[in-house]
Amino acid sequence: MSERAQEWLFWIAATILVALVVHLVALYLLPRVVMMRALDRLGAANTMHVGKRPTAAARVIVRPSPDILYATCPYDLSKGPLRVTAPVIHTSYWSVSAFDANTDNFFVKNDQKTPADSVELVVVKRGQAWPKLDAAIERAILFSPSEKGLILFRAVIDDEKHLPAIDAALHQARCGTVASAPKLR
Amino acid sequence: MHVAVKILGTIVVGVPLGLAATWVVTSRGGMGDSVADGPWKTSLVAGSPQSDPYTRARVALHGLFALNRNETLYYTATEDSSGAKLDGHCRYEVVGRDPSARWWSVTAYGDDDYLISNPGNLYSASQTSVLRQKDGSFAIAVGGAQAPSAKTSWIPAGTGAFSLTLRLYNPGPDMALDPADAVLPALKKVSCP
Repeated sequence: MSERAQEWLFWIAATILVALVVHLVALYLLPRVVMMRALDRLGAANTMHVGKRPTAAARVIVRPSPDILYATCPYDLSKGPLRVTAPVIHTSYWSVSAFDANTDNFFVKNDQKTPADSVELVVVKRGQAWPKLDAAIERAILFSPSEKGLILFRAVIDDEKHLPAIDAALHQARCGTVASAPKLR
Repeated sequence: MHVAVKILGTIVVGVPLGLAATWVVTSRGGMGDSVADGPWKTSLVAGSPQSDPYTRARVALHGLFALNRNETLYYTATEDSSGAKLDGHCRYEVVGRDPSARWWSVTAYGDDDYLISNPGNLYSASQTSVLRQKDGSFAIAVGGAQAPSAKTSWIPAGTGAFSLTLRLYNPGPDMALDPADAVLPALKKVSCP
């Protein structure tokens, strides 16, 4: 092989290597960027946002279901753990799920697995201690793999007649920072 | 100088090439580790921490906040049973019986992954809203200019490419174990203008 050809081969290989590295970095960043954008667009952190029933005008999250009411709490654990409380809807499918900054779904519980009438969740990150939970209701500690993420409630509108009750129940869901939790030693 | 130009060339060609490759693998193809059941495709790992970087990126773009498959199975069809791309001008039928799940719905989405605007705000049919035959089966009309009859559920699908998502909430244990072998409604093309 001539020296010139060898040089060409070297630069072609270098170009492919650059392309590969860019590809892998883009692939790694993409879900994180999509998540950060979604969290920003969903509204203030550590606050519950109850959405309207999705229509063609709903353009924040892709592929929303028009048969579901969603409530969202974008969270940021930098100022302490997050406490989430909500009534459980037992008349149709209801679930509460949690997603980390990487878009992974790290927790989900539905109404059939939650016999109680209400649920309390405390979301903590690594090294964060959690406050005492209210013993009266169904409760869980969630360990978030990332500082930011999303709590998402889904409630199926199985019958138009049930819509006002489902909407009212979702509006009772709350989330907020628990500032008083002590640090783990 | 000569080497500097070559390094610049490597970057100028390599960076767009890497970005283009990312775009191709995330915008085309299934959700990764996907299985097909007729025209319906579903990912086995969507939403779960087991998903590979490719699946995760695709789900972030086309199915953000999807639940894992024990909770919800999401089947998406972009083609009819004969393999032709779904087109809103044409009339299709989703025919069958209730799949094994606690609750199901079929929803149409435009090419942009959002609901398709229509005057009646008709976007979906579900286990509890679908109009049924006397024997309990259903035939949901999808696409076309108007509803075929008042006795049939109809989902308008715009005037371009679209896709359908079949959601199964709390799928039966048989379904969650083997999503490729589930009994799902058929998706047939009826007519094209």
